[in-house]
Amino acid sequence: MSNGAILLLMTGLFLGLGYMGVPVAFALMAGVLVACGLTPISMQSMVGQMFHGIDSEILLAVPFFLLVGELMTSADVTNRMIRLAQTMVGHLRGGLAQVVTLFSMFFAGISGSSTADVAVLSRTVAPEMTREGYDRAFTSALIACASTMANLIPPSIMAVVYGATGNVSIGGLFLAGIVPGLLIGIGLMIYSHFFGPTGLRKPRASLCEFAAATRASVLPLMIPLIIMGGILTGWFTPTEAGMVASVYIILVLVPLLARGHIRHLPRDFVYTGLLYSIPLALVAAASAFGWMLAYLRGPDIVSGWIELIAGHDGRIIMFLLVLLFIVIGDFMDAVPAIIIFMPIVIKLNELGDINSLHMGVVLITTLVFGLITPPYGLSLLVASKFVGVAFSRAMFASLPIYVVFFATIAFTVLFPSMVLYLPKLFLPESVGCFKSPSGTGYICPK
Amino acid sequence: MVLCGISIGGFTLSVFCDVVTRELGTPWLWLQLVTTGFFAWGVFIGMATATRRIDHLNLVEITKRMRGPKRSLLEITNRVIILLVGLAMVVFGTQNCLNDMGSFRAPSLLPLATYTASVPVAGALIVLFAVEQIVNGWRHGFEGPEDADDFAGIVK
Repeated sequence: MSNGAILLLMTGLFLGLGYMGVPVAFALMAGVLVACGLTPISMQSMVGQMFHGIDSEILLAVPFFLLVGELMTSADVTNRMIRLAQTMVGHLRGGLAQVVTLFSMFFAGISGSSTADVAVLSRTVAPEMTREGYDRAFTSALIACASTMANLIPPSIMAVVYGATGNVSIGGLFLAGIVPGLLIGIGLMIYSHFFGPTGLRKPRASLCEFAAATRASVLPLMIPLIIMGGILTGWFTPTEAGMVASVYIILVLVPLLARGHIRHLPRDFVYTGLLYSIPLALVAAASAFGWMLAYLRGPDIVSGWIELIAGHDGRIIMFLLVLLFIVIGDFMDAVPAIIIFMPIVIKLNELGDINSLHMGVVLITTLVFGLITPPYGLSLLVASKFVGVAFSRAMFASLPIYVVFFATIAFTVLFPSMVLYLPKLFLPESVGCFKSPSGTGYICPK
Repeated sequence: MVLCGISIGGFTLSVFCDVVTRELGTPWLWLQLVTTGFFAWGVFIGMATATRRIDHLNLVEITKRMRGPKRSLLEITNRVIILLVGLAMVVFGTQNCLNDMGSFRAPSLLPLATYTASVPVAGALIVLFAVEQIVNGWRHGFEGPEDADDFAGIVK
């Protein structure tokens, strides 16, 4: 059997079983094990690859960022940040819609999980939006779209997985994700202002109210500073930054702001323990799948197709990969997608001489779009369930908002100098710069 | 589930001690091994737990839209596939584990097998849970009250 045929069989089996209802991790492994039977690769080595796929210190950051999100959500500390967002933008047209977006920007700086963001907003702001007459479909669409920022604005779980798999600086990916994250946020605010429901107009908060809300939110808003400050100053690795943020919540935030929650901490740990194992089981299975894909020369085949169309033009290669990842993101979770397709991405980076950090942030921006597109729009699905509206209605309400994502993705591809400005400024090595032999400044690739 | 909680609690503590001892200038290098051990065991035990609780990520929950024998057939097929993958994890994971008895991780010189044993143990639990679900489903049917949830029936 040719490599191409085995590749097709393996991928077909994964998709077929996946759509039959077999959990993704098991569908991936079933495809790999069948491919083993048709190649000289032993099943033993592929089962071993599952372990090696997760045997990485960098991936430890994933549970910590999930723990931070879970602790913040269950301790109800987030209400203070919602109040702050209300004093800042609550008086604008579509005030609560603006609050949703602004709060998501704040929360994205604390948690790397879109689902945690959806859970918080659906429980707190969504009922108020319904009372003010916002269409539930619009509410769930907006919450889902805003939650995608959690995977762009640091800390981001997708960036951790991408960095760990593709050997790209995670600190650099965190910084590069800020620009597209903010663009999505600003785009959603503009959309809500001009095209969203009006809501109830409220008076602008006084300076005293704003000051009080800021004072109440200071402690939770220290978390992004701890995480990014620790990473940028070189004090912590991303994993350690996640741990320090978790310890900060347990030792400072919970005792000071939610004392009654202390007895629920073991429950949070148990829940997060299960929560982190689900994406990481996918990482384990997807790394075996990606290994087999690379063995069967899948990257060569796909990059050959892309080279036929794009030649060596980095920009066209990126747009073609964006198209590919939009389709993939519609059907698959981002974590296995990143791992499975990483060998192809690395090959195409070389082909088009593309900066790996730039490619990383473009693909992460594309994959977050997959969180709101059917059939596998996880954020939209969770939001529609929590808000209490049919998935199809939420999907139709989100269609016009797709424009914001298309514009952001196009911007990210076309303006690398702006997207990579922050990494170049704070972590020059992450974009391929190296120290000048004279000892002052850095020499960077064009 | 409690084991999952212990694992995340364990590696939070070990990473914390790692940072503290490093900042104090007396790093305990073996802590990194404790951390990765807790992490790996947590992932694979969690994988088994998620199998029992049917918490794994699915592309589509097509089965929840079905009723009667059609559904039973598909549910059993899905669990048989999970069972086969679990069996592969037991058999080949055990072979890996036995090979890894001779490999050691510096600086503690713990056999690598203490980590890789997590794969066959998780495989065994997955097999057990898959059999449990097949038997229970065969006896009482696969349709449950959760099917009324509008979350199911579309996509997860």
